[in-house]
Amino acid sequence: MFNKKWIIGLALVILAASVLAACSSGNGSNGGNQGTEPKASKGAQNEGEKENEKPVNLIWYTIGTPPNDLKKVNDELNAYILPKINATVEMRMLDWGDYSQKMQVTIASGEPYDIAFTSSWANDYFANAKKGAFYELDALLQEKGQGILQALNPAFLEGTKVNGHHYGLPTNKELPQQRVFRFNKTMLDKNGLDISGVRTIQDLAPILKAFQEKEPTIPPIPAKIAEFLPYDLPINDLPFIGMPLDTTDYKLINVWETPEAMRYLETMHEYYKAGYLPKDVATQTDAGDYFKTGKWLLDVADAQPYADNLWSSDAGYEVVSVPMHDPIAFNWSVAGAMQAINAKSKHPDKAMEFLNLLYTDPYVINLIDYGIENVHYTKTGDQSKDSIPDSGYGFPAFTVGNLMLTYLNTGDPADKWEKFKAFNDSATNSPLLGFQVDTTNITTELANLKNAKEATYNSLFSGTLDPKENLPKVNQKLKDNGLDKVMQEVQRQIDEWRANQK
Amino acid sequence: MKPGRPGKSYDIHRLPPVWNALLHLFAGGFAFVCIFPFVFVVILSFTDENALLMYGYRIVPEQWSTQAYTYLFKTGDQLFRSYGVTILITVIGTLLSVCMTTLYAYALSRSNFKYRKFFTFFAFFTMLFGGGLVPTYIVVAQMLQLKDTLWALILPMAMNAFHIIVLRTFLQTMVPNPIIESGKIDGASEFRILFRLVVPISLPGIATIALFCTLSYWNDWFNALLYIDSGHLVPLQSLLMRIEQSMQFIISNSALLNSGQSREMLQSLPQETTRMAMVVLATGPIVFAYPFFQRYFIQGLTIGAVKD
Repeated sequence: MFNKKWIIGLALVILAASVLAACSSGNGSNGGNQGTEPKASKGAQNEGEKENEKPVNLIWYTIGTPPNDLKKVNDELNAYILPKINATVEMRMLDWGDYSQKMQVTIASGEPYDIAFTSSWANDYFANAKKGAFYELDALLQEKGQGILQALNPAFLEGTKVNGHHYGLPTNKELPQQRVFRFNKTMLDKNGLDISGVRTIQDLAPILKAFQEKEPTIPPIPAKIAEFLPYDLPINDLPFIGMPLDTTDYKLINVWETPEAMRYLETMHEYYKAGYLPKDVATQTDAGDYFKTGKWLLDVADAQPYADNLWSSDAGYEVVSVPMHDPIAFNWSVAGAMQAINAKSKHPDKAMEFLNLLYTDPYVINLIDYGIENVHYTKTGDQSKDSIPDSGYGFPAFTVGNLMLTYLNTGDPADKWEKFKAFNDSATNSPLLGFQVDTTNITTELANLKNAKEATYNSLFSGTLDPKENLPKVNQKLKDNGLDKVMQEVQRQIDEWRANQK
Repeated sequence: MKPGRPGKSYDIHRLPPVWNALLHLFAGGFAFVCIFPFVFVVILSFTDENALLMYGYRIVPEQWSTQAYTYLFKTGDQLFRSYGVTILITVIGTLLSVCMTTLYAYALSRSNFKYRKFFTFFAFFTMLFGGGLVPTYIVVAQMLQLKDTLWALILPMAMNAFHIIVLRTFLQTMVPNPIIESGKIDGASEFRILFRLVVPISLPGIATIALFCTLSYWNDWFNALLYIDSGHLVPLQSLLMRIEQSMQFIISNSALLNSGQSREMLQSLPQETTRMAMVVLATGPIVFAYPFFQRYFIQGLTIGAVKD
């Protein structure tokens, strides 16, 4: 009996193995051809067009949830660009949460690829550029990337320099950061509240008070709101090492020791005590559910031109905002989304030609961002489109190319992209734009400081803890964990950087 | 034995009623704590999405709904593909893994095998020292060219040193040497001894290993994260992990939250009740693996087989 069973079992294994082997050998040979070397037969197909040059296949890793129709759009794209630049592209999209880790392995193992998405928040641009993972683009940009140079605001390229060289091409989108208070207009109108004249967190007090009297069951501020203090932060994770935005002497200070920070935190604490925020706000991990229910009055967001329209159409009710400050270009906002070329790429010139198309050719960028016309979207005007719901294609447009060449949604104001340009031009540069910290000498201290910060950051900045009592303690703890050493080191690098600039 | 009280027979196998009740209560409570989260997930998956947003998690929801499941069955191409991939790698992986582990462990368990010490150490060494992530990746993806194939999900987990050691120890202690010798006396070949004598009496050990393998193949997501790019080969747990990690990612990058960028990310994620329904569908089938392996645990007893 067992004998029979075992024979069947073994037979199954062997059968399955042989079936799989057949599959995998097919895939394996594909895998072999996925390298940067062009396939021989492909070359043969196109010999008629260019006899001396074989077309190149570029591998392009980019971020986003892979849509079902990626392959279709990819084929369409290749059909269009092959005669233009004699190259094809293989789009490989990796999901948001996977991207950083997967790219880390890909880069470390020397796996062939040509173009990859990089930014200040995923697949860290500055770290990779310093490590030499990306191709230095200075000469290539001049040679093959004239379209890119024309399309981009110079601050984009200035802010993403590493050690004085370019390693990545930012998406042409909103360049500066402008933090705004965002209000639920339905709630404002219903309770007759006036938001004109609001600019700072303190200005909100009368509005919040009036709201609470009329709607006692709804906490007006539904989640922790991001703070804005007028400092430039050279290290993203450590929001207490800062330089005043209007600095003249370029000296770093501990932001959390300034009266502004104290005042901000005290106001937040007052609001928390008054019940304007939910009791568990410090530990909340809500990703914006209140937006769907409409039970909120105010939160904080980063704006771009016509952002109110965007938010309103998302929410299904009207949302309005007031800015807290004028737009400012920070390092991290400039490096919000970029594409870089692999340092080991065999065809950096072709990769650059392709990237150049993304900034200059409306057909290419609209194809990548919105899919195929009449399959994934329909045109409703010269410059506008409606996407077809559940069409099987979606792409995060902000991650690539020239956003200003893309079609508008039918409801968008026609001057949206002009407004973007004006918004970008209106930005003041932050004092440290273009400066990158070299963290090699202070890694231990940075990790310690980060841990010290994480312990209390959320409870302090959500107003849960009393800053009078706790902020000095936190500052002492930061000092104990090597804050002074880090500040000295960063200050030294800043001085050096400034000396080099003159 | 005398009855303790007249009219009531006293059973020495029984605990005093108070203790009995207390222990039952304790065990029952513990079991409830274990099973409750899962029951809660099932309830949530049957909750109406709007009710969930308005009133939060409720044990008895304001409104029941099968929305999440109808949505999944309508649009869940990916989900069912992933189901297929997971079942395929679990079945093939388990069979392959059990086969290889048993053969290796059996050889190590035989005291007359000459290179026993070396091969034990050979397996044991990998428990202490691993190659690290990047070298492993290079071997699998570049040397073996397994990237984007099902083998990348099966082979890296096919041999597990821990399983080998466990099974070797089991075979050494549970299979008496005289049984093997008796086979030899009757003229059986080595293979016949293995399949007719050793395997039947060591089924409990093999079934344990098989259960371990099934679970680890079913729950594996990390190999898929590393080696699988194309959507049609993503296994179920990896699909869930992707959603989970994308959520985490958006929450932890609160600087991006509420800007135009996180909008697009949030829109690409399934809704809360849908995620719960996916968890139910992903965990459901593996529950049946336990009773399947259960029956082997009582077979193959060797008591009385050998008289020393």
